Amino acid sequence: MNKFNPFSLGKITLLLAILVWLALVTVDLIRIFGMINNLESGISEEITWTLELLFFSMLYLLYRHIYRKTRELDFLTLIWRGASTGVFAAGAGFLTDVFFFSLGDSKISSDPFLKNIFYHLNFAFTSAFLISTALLWRHLILYQRSKQVVNQWQVFEVMMGIALFFVFFNQNNFDYSFFFGLILLLILSLLLSSNLKWIPYLNFKEKWKSLLFLFLIFLCTSFLFYRILSYGNEARLQINLTDNLFLMGLFAFVFLYALFSFLVTLFNLPTSSVFEQKLAEAINFQKLSQSIQPEENEEKVLDILLDSCVSASYSDGAWLELKATAGSSPLMSLRGLDPTTQSSLSKEISSMNQVASWEQDSGADQISPLPLRLSHDSFKTALLVPLLINRRMIGRIILVKEVKEGYNKEMLGIIGTFSRQACIAVENHQLLKQSLQNERYQEELKIAQRVQKALLPVRLDHSSAFTLCAYSHTADEVGGDYYDTYKENEHTYVLIIGDVSGKGTSAAFHMAQMKGVFQSLIQLEIQPAAFMAKANAALSKCLEKNHFITASIFRIDCEKKVFTHARAGHIPTLMYQAKEKKSALLEIDGLGLGILRNQTYQNHVYEKTYAFAPGDILVMLTDGILEGKNQYGEQFGYERIKNLVEVHHHKSLEEIQQLLILALHDFVGGEGMIDDDYSLLLVKFS
Amino acid sequence: MLQLEKQKKGTNDLLRLIGEVDASNSLILDQAIQELIQEGISTLLIDGSKLTYISSAGLGVFMSYLEEFKEKGISLVIFGLNDQVKEVFKILGLDKLIPLVIDQVAAEAHRHEV
Repeated sequence: MNKFNPFSLGKITLLLAILVWLALVTVDLIRIFGMINNLESGISEEITWTLELLFFSMLYLLYRHIYRKTRELDFLTLIWRGASTGVFAAGAGFLTDVFFFSLGDSKISSDPFLKNIFYHLNFAFTSAFLISTALLWRHLILYQRSKQVVNQWQVFEVMMGIALFFVFFNQNNFDYSFFFGLILLLILSLLLSSNLKWIPYLNFKEKWKSLLFLFLIFLCTSFLFYRILSYGNEARLQINLTDNLFLMGLFAFVFLYALFSFLVTLFNLPTSSVFEQKLAEAINFQKLSQSIQPEENEEKVLDILLDSCVSASYSDGAWLELKATAGSSPLMSLRGLDPTTQSSLSKEISSMNQVASWEQDSGADQISPLPLRLSHDSFKTALLVPLLINRRMIGRIILVKEVKEGYNKEMLGIIGTFSRQACIAVENHQLLKQSLQNERYQEELKIAQRVQKALLPVRLDHSSAFTLCAYSHTADEVGGDYYDTYKENEHTYVLIIGDVSGKGTSAAFHMAQMKGVFQSLIQLEIQPAAFMAKANAALSKCLEKNHFITASIFRIDCEKKVFTHARAGHIPTLMYQAKEKKSALLEIDGLGLGILRNQTYQNHVYEKTYAFAPGDILVMLTDGILEGKNQYGEQFGYERIKNLVEVHHHKSLEEIQQLLILALHDFVGGEGMIDDDYSLLLVKFS
Repeated sequence: MLQLEKQKKGTNDLLRLIGEVDASNSLILDQAIQELIQEGISTLLIDGSKLTYISSAGLGVFMSYLEEFKEKGISLVIFGLNDQVKEVFKILGLDKLIPLVIDQVAAEAHRHEV
């Protein structure tokens, strides 16, 4: 943006100001020389004025540049800068006086050149002081600016700009136009001096300091003004730089604003504690709303609340009572009271009828703090502050004071707001904790999901006699569908598919048990019906009362080209016979596992042996597929599966499986519409 | 949605199931049966003619009382099931443990047999 280096800009203006000043001194000395020797130096007054104008402008630019970052400084530093410049300028003036006084009546003391050099030096310092202080005032005036104030200031700057050129118009005389201009500037200065919004933001100590600094500025301005006036009266000086409307206007402005600030600060001293209190309340308020981090606890907020209430109400003592909740003991914190005083106060308060009825109102949305009159020896007033969280009173804060009628409306208001804010903070904290916990549960479920996935076999045991393909989908993170394979020997394989009643986590646990039962029993190389009987006995011991498992088991003998099948309440398996080009359900009776939890179960399970031929397909399912419903409430059912297998039987198992799942999704109207676990296990004999 | 209607006739109770029994309301059915047991019934007739769907959770409820009924000598008969619901009972094998009959007349007749 700006190609000027900010450092070089400051240096350039400083350098220019010094150069202009040197030029001014040279020009004026030449002019004095000319005047003394009655020579026409050929340099007119206007050149002096022009250089003076340039000098003021350079100083203005320099200080504008220096103070461009004043926003970051506090008021006290600003005023101190003004004061120190003033002290420096005044000190320089004073030293000049001392110097000339020490010279006494010697010749050198009346040397016009020396005197003029010092005059110019003092003029430069004074100008620097006035311009820098005026710019500091600008910052103070424009603090919390409104458009009106900005306009006023702009008018003032324009007026001062005009005043710069005024000298060309009135030829450096005190005439009526000069006084008219000065009065105009005075009025504007007065107007601007009413903008003192920064003062209330100083605390008590800062106010005292600023009073001192303002007084210094005030003194310096007066001293410098006095010196300039006296210079002006000295007849020996033929060059007058200071009878200038711009400079006079600056004097007036700096002086008036310092005076106003001083007086207003002085009168603000007694009320500064109120403002500080309000500021502290605002900070407390912010603390209350920000304080709870997830790892922090609610007591900390309540502690801050207690402290905030005590300081906002100037209470002499206070305590916090939290009602006992499950898992936590009643909490009590004391402020400014010993336990015996507290218990006697507590006794008196709880015996009051007002308190009981007030507490009964706590079901209402809004309940305000309750002031009470006490008959205690030292404490005369109490204030009960409710702590409501989720419309339940979790406790209260009791504030006590030694004076009667100690709590006014404003205090009740601010304390009510404090307690509500704190309660909101606690509520938010509780919600946050809850959501963190939920997140943790989600994580746990993800782990469960991973663990369960590992329960389903990745590699399915199969031989050259048949191919296998499986698919499983869970409605929730975990589910109750199960399939597994086992290779008994080179020619004998066992396949199982199962479905645990219910869904979700409980189903997943039972599914894991089923896996354990299968993997251990199958080692015994038992026949399907016997397996079911043993599995029922084992599961009866561990299934929940109203849960059961259904399963279908197949023991495939690749040598004899037969499989033995038992069904325990599971939905029948579909078998496609290549020779017939037809598919049919393998109907066989069998009771679900865990329904009859005694020895009689074995009377309810059967096994049957089927022969298979190359191209035959077994479609094992869980009921999630059959029960998939379309928008008319129809179920997917066996017919659709039958048709699909009959049409596509020549395709690979993976393709058939894909087609089946797509058909199901199409039927229910989207993958997300199936609210149940479903699994598929396909076998194709070759 | 599941609606339950109870009818009492001496020690015979008739429980009419209207709508669907699934995981969300199987507990209501469970409670209803438990209450009936506590009242001291000898026969429980379940009218399933208005039952449109039963999930495994619903079947689990009936299943879980089988042993208790046997111990207490309470006979349970379900009647009027539509084909689809009946099929669900059959697949699981529950039809071998709980008599499923056509209508209330048949159910009462069945009870006398027991």
